[in-house]
Amino acid sequence: MALATLTGIPISAGIAIGKAFFLNRSLFGQIPRHTLPVDQVEQEAQRLREAFAKGQAELAAIRERVPAELEEHALIIDSHLMIMRDPKLQGSAMNHLMSLRINAEWALEKAVADLEEAFDALDDPYFRERLQDVRLVADRVRSQLMDQKVDFRTLGSRAVLLAHDLTPADTVELQVDKIMGFATMQGGKTSHTGILAKSLGIPAVVGVVGMEEAVQDGSLVVVDGIKGLVVVEPTEEELARYGDLKYQFESYRVGITKNCHLPGETIDGYRIKVKANIELYEEVAQVIDNGGDGIGLFRTEYAYLNRVNLPGEEELFENYRDLADILAPRRVILRTLDLGADKFMAHFGRLEEQNPALGMRAIRFCLRHKDLFRTQIRAILRASVVGNVSLMFPMISGLKEIRQSVNLLRECQQELSREGLAYNPEMPVGMMVELPSAVMTAEIMAKEVDFFSIGTNDLIQYSLGIDRTNRHVSYLYQPLHPAVVRSIKHVVDAAHQAGIECNLCGEMASDPFCVPILMGMQIDAISLNPQTIPGIKHLIRQATMDDCKKLLKQVLESPTVARTNQLVRETIFQKFPDQLSYFYSLLDSEEGPSQ
Amino acid sequence: MPETTVPLKLDLDGGHDYVRLVCVLNEKGLHARPAAKLAQAAQRFDSVITIVMNGQEVDAKSILDILTLAAGHGANLELRAQGDDAGQALDALADLFKNRFQ
Repeated sequence: MALATLTGIPISAGIAIGKAFFLNRSLFGQIPRHTLPVDQVEQEAQRLREAFAKGQAELAAIRERVPAELEEHALIIDSHLMIMRDPKLQGSAMNHLMSLRINAEWALEKAVADLEEAFDALDDPYFRERLQDVRLVADRVRSQLMDQKVDFRTLGSRAVLLAHDLTPADTVELQVDKIMGFATMQGGKTSHTGILAKSLGIPAVVGVVGMEEAVQDGSLVVVDGIKGLVVVEPTEEELARYGDLKYQFESYRVGITKNCHLPGETIDGYRIKVKANIELYEEVAQVIDNGGDGIGLFRTEYAYLNRVNLPGEEELFENYRDLADILAPRRVILRTLDLGADKFMAHFGRLEEQNPALGMRAIRFCLRHKDLFRTQIRAILRASVVGNVSLMFPMISGLKEIRQSVNLLRECQQELSREGLAYNPEMPVGMMVELPSAVMTAEIMAKEVDFFSIGTNDLIQYSLGIDRTNRHVSYLYQPLHPAVVRSIKHVVDAAHQAGIECNLCGEMASDPFCVPILMGMQIDAISLNPQTIPGIKHLIRQATMDDCKKLLKQVLESPTVARTNQLVRETIFQKFPDQLSYFYSLLDSEEGPSQ
Repeated sequence: MPETTVPLKLDLDGGHDYVRLVCVLNEKGLHARPAAKLAQAAQRFDSVITIVMNGQEVDAKSILDILTLAAGHGANLELRAQGDDAGQALDALADLFKNRFQ
């Protein structure tokens, strides 16, 4: 058994195996390094030989204990044994020890460094990553040398980052390319960490309870971003199993990525656009590489965070223009600021809010601070002459808000005309439907805008009255609650009756159990994190609209969430049995209140 | 691309040098487990056995050397052996390739 297996919320699929590195904790535990007098060299060489021998014996003993049905795992241990015996490791360490007259730990470190160089030069990631096996083997020898379970704190290139939570600022300072996976104590499915991890395509688990106590810096950990586990100091067998799973997952990912540029079209010819949600310009490459049909949601908040001054119109204009330009002719939907008053304390003073989620945020905040809003709207308008730009307003609760917002946009257009600055007068203007009030009045709202975009994360929270980041009630976060399914259906129908498009962004769009239901509603586009696009497109391409409509009909007739979830699981499992384990699903936390 | 191996005896240095051309048939290439099997098999022989790919020659008895070849599916390799049991060694190793390391 591993030292500990901690559970959290899986947020970005994949398996990471590496050394724990706590953000904001001291990291370097020293490996002893010293030179030796000539007469001690032979004695030290003997110590190194013994450490290798003991390490081998230890591994061989583990090998013996592997039950016959796990022969596959035994083979991995065999390869570790081979590495331990390999002249390139032991021989090279011995050479360093003898020629440089250094202590065994240091010599071993140098031998690993030589191999690091050889492996790092390889192009093929599979072979490059075998260095991890070398490190595991070297660690075993080192623990023999140092006669203890040592914690190796050197942040190598195989770090698993552990943190309380990650902020956008952290992510700028981190060398993200060196990080294999994330695990954080805070956060829910839509937290920044998750969004970031998904956009980087690395495994992540958030909301992990008890991590600080259970994990030491340098502990070997597995982050299972498929099931939502953090395995601390796994056994050799567990490690072998995770090695296999990692390989399978990565092979699957390579397979679906090959076809991700094909259209998201069902077998019977129904096309659904599969777009990306992003917040950083840097993520554009991911969108293109993963076959995204444009950006369904560009979160514009990033430019406002982690800085003292508010961004000016020119800066925003340049950002938006560059984004539109690089993605043209793909459509880019820019969502205006969706931030609360707490983020702008320095500029507007702190508001005492009992309940910020229901407070002065998003469109309410922008309509209160019109100068800030105007600056952003003008920047978007000016960028609309390039590429294919649309704008949408978040958190619209009723007719008055959307009209106020659109009027402000018209005023900005007039200003720009007067100033002789170009903009596209035909730029589509849409709104997010994420409040129950907007759902209920969708027919009325549809006449005011060019498109809808349903934000399911907020819609579910506001419809069901729960805060999903609150562990005590997060089990109530039920995307297939009859109220939610009916709300979405109502909005899609209202949009289509009015002849406008209906998009959907939110975690439901990347859930393999939810997407077929949304397809049955004939949603025009879904928008999700770029990494999940290939998998979802793959599912769409294997489905038929006929089946999706049948499923939707059954779901609409189902009176309870439990029944719906069961129905959906059975249907989807039957259809895609081999692929579902690579997604994480919102349906997985349906059981009941956690302790 | 040869489906199986081509035996080829070169008359070099007194007749103990053998060369075989083999192709990596298994789908994942010479990844950790095949590499382990290959090195393990090579270690049973006294001959010096090397593998050549794209001009790079490595020790067939070293799993780490084999891994750093990064030989993928379809890669063509040359096995070389020198020693008293060179012929048997290459027969055994070539069989591994032919059987896809099963």
